[in-house]
Amino acid sequence: MQDIADSNQTALSMKMTVTKDKLVESVTHVMKAVSSRTTIPILTGIKITASLDGVTLTGSDSDVSIKSFIPLSENDQQNVTVEKTGQIVLQAKVFSDIVRKLPSDTIAIEVDQRLITKITAGSSEFTLNGLDPEEYPLLPVIDEEDNNIVSIKKDLLKHVIRQTVFAVSTSETRPVLTGVRWNIQNGKLDCVSTDSHRLAQRVIPISTDDETKYHNIVIPGKSLNELYKILDDNGEEPVRVIITKNQILFQIKNLDFFSRLLEGNYPDTDRLIPTDSKTTITLSTKGLLHAIERASLLAKEERNNVVKLRTHENSVEILSQSAELGRVYEDVPVETIEGEELKISFSAKLTMEALSRIDAQTIQINFTGAMRPFVIRPIGDEGILMLILPVRTF
Amino acid sequence: MVSGHRVIFHIDMNCFYASVEIAHHPELSGHPLAIAGRVEDRKGIIVTSSYEARAKGVKTTMPVWKARQLCPELIVKQPNMTLYRETSKQIFDILRRVTPLVEKVSVDEGYMDVSSVVSVIHPVHLAKRIQRHLYKSLKLPCSIGIAPNKFLAKMASNMQKPMGLTILRKRDLPTTLWNLPIGDMHGVGSKTEEKLKKMNIHTIGDLAKFDRLRISERLGQPGISLFNHANGWDDRPVDPESEDRYKSIGHSTTLPVDTIDLTVVKEVFSKQSEKIAFKLKREHIASYQISIVIRYFDWTNITRNKTLKTPLITKQDILFQAMELFHRHWDDRPVRLLGITLTSFEALADSTTQLDLFTYQDELKKEPVVDLINAVTNKYGNNALQLASSMIKNRKVKNGEYKSNERTNE
Repeated sequence: MQDIADSNQTALSMKMTVTKDKLVESVTHVMKAVSSRTTIPILTGIKITASLDGVTLTGSDSDVSIKSFIPLSENDQQNVTVEKTGQIVLQAKVFSDIVRKLPSDTIAIEVDQRLITKITAGSSEFTLNGLDPEEYPLLPVIDEEDNNIVSIKKDLLKHVIRQTVFAVSTSETRPVLTGVRWNIQNGKLDCVSTDSHRLAQRVIPISTDDETKYHNIVIPGKSLNELYKILDDNGEEPVRVIITKNQILFQIKNLDFFSRLLEGNYPDTDRLIPTDSKTTITLSTKGLLHAIERASLLAKEERNNVVKLRTHENSVEILSQSAELGRVYEDVPVETIEGEELKISFSAKLTMEALSRIDAQTIQINFTGAMRPFVIRPIGDEGILMLILPVRTF
Repeated sequence: MVSGHRVIFHIDMNCFYASVEIAHHPELSGHPLAIAGRVEDRKGIIVTSSYEARAKGVKTTMPVWKARQLCPELIVKQPNMTLYRETSKQIFDILRRVTPLVEKVSVDEGYMDVSSVVSVIHPVHLAKRIQRHLYKSLKLPCSIGIAPNKFLAKMASNMQKPMGLTILRKRDLPTTLWNLPIGDMHGVGSKTEEKLKKMNIHTIGDLAKFDRLRISERLGQPGISLFNHANGWDDRPVDPESEDRYKSIGHSTTLPVDTIDLTVVKEVFSKQSEKIAFKLKREHIASYQISIVIRYFDWTNITRNKTLKTPLITKQDILFQAMELFHRHWDDRPVRLLGITLTSFEALADSTTQLDLFTYQDELKKEPVVDLINAVTNKYGNNALQLASSMIKNRKVKNGEYKSNERTNE
């Protein structure tokens, strides 16, 4: 017979076991959303929910929320057993450190009604004070109407993020520029970012019906950087993207990644991208990148990192000087060169960042004058455009 | 000049503003006198006072009403900056007759490198002669510190006032300098004092004997300088030109009444920006760093700065950045004083502007000129044709400091 008093005191509000590998993986994911510098104390915790079909972990900093699900079993392997469904919030930092260091392959977690949480693994036993899961904010509820869903292959999404997020603004002067703007229309996803000194644009085809249309979706650069880290290299897998008025949800197998969207109208950048060209050159991406890297060795300490480019008959000259260090010249061969002669100054840093995100071997650069933006496009890939504003030197 | 055996004087005029007033109004002599701003403009803070006033407890930065409580017979005069500047010029003219190696630090203090002079006259005799001369011709008292470098000379002149004459030799440090509290060290402000005290450094001697590396870790390069100075090492030359080199241009304004009104703030910044832009233009320089200071009603100050990719040249640029800093850092409390300071200068001719996607079209007004210059340069070689602004290079802009092209008396 059970001792009634004892059972009352230790009445369980949750009990489950989970494999260590799965739990560590999940914790690692949701930790990406947890910030130690949050104004809402409960958000320093991870919410753990044990339900009949598995365990869900949630982390959030109120801008980004990540939900990671561990199903009862996968590929004939048992991940989780749930003896009593329930939920608890545990201090994220401590919990994540503990689960990583636990000695056995299975971890048992039980929570009593006073929110005291016992974590046992092998002969090790931790008792943690939990936080009230009722206080944990609810994640945005997103209506899954079918026409809302956009599907993008994981590796393509990673590329798109890598090629645009670097150009977002880090200054809060115009908050909307700290995000990447997405437009979806006619089966195409059009992503633009700019900090007003350079601009990156990537357009990719996506599988949607022609009806799907979104405008002015501005995703914080910070969120996309976190998402990029979570996306693994299992490239063919599709990511489902669901967009609402102020939230975007990326759904990958067993993982939901929510991000707040930035408010405000993203400027119409299409009008600002020159369509003509006064001087056009085609040359090797790496050849130009490396020449600028070398020239920047002297420009690094100078304000605005200025390097100069000067066109010749069959080459362009890259030069840079520093009053203190000295100067450097380098001739870079080109494949073709057309149009007016040109001498232009620009930031080595901005140009290197753009060039290093282009995978194609050859690029075309269209200049429209020494004081106007120039546009870099990879040959053989219409979908990418990098624009850079020059530096005025006198 | 024989290096390693320098003899440096630090001349420190005693209670300068008050002394000048007394020199010009002999009837004030022997009375407690204070110089303070106008009370109506809320600038009623004691700037300096005579020794008679100090004896009653009157101190610099004390409000006038408080000084009057301590010393009811106190005579308060408003500062006459024009007179002080003129007098200052006379003082330095006298000093420059001894040696051209005179560095003016402010209206009332300066360094002299007399190494080459002391071979003919003993330093103490020379110092006495200078002191006597200043007193006889201008009726102004001063203290002189004599030492092998600037730092020790400065510390020495502070040791005896008024009309003091103090020699500080390196071998005397353990018995003189090292016993002084760290807060008395030249270059140690209240913030640094706090940090040093936390490291258990309470006297200049504590600092001299402290671990150099740990000082460097906690306080960086400025800490190393202090450490060297505490040990009596200082190789900074006496620089006669330093007076003409400026690190910053700034303006600050005490408001007639505390305000939370943004239009008032903007008006104040606007006036300041205009003055600063005028000066930038006169000097043909551009600035890459702006800072603003906000003093709240309770005298707490905040200073915030921003480094820019696009140089500040015009009033509009300066005002825009100042307002932006203000909006970002103001905590809605009533403001008493506002100020803007620009630093990190570049000759306009050498300045570079990272163009902006949303505003580059405004810059295009200059494009025809740029095209023309490029065309002529290509045909006739470099510098065949230049903008006038790029030819004004005679003034030295170095390490973000500039040398003024006029000898101003500001």
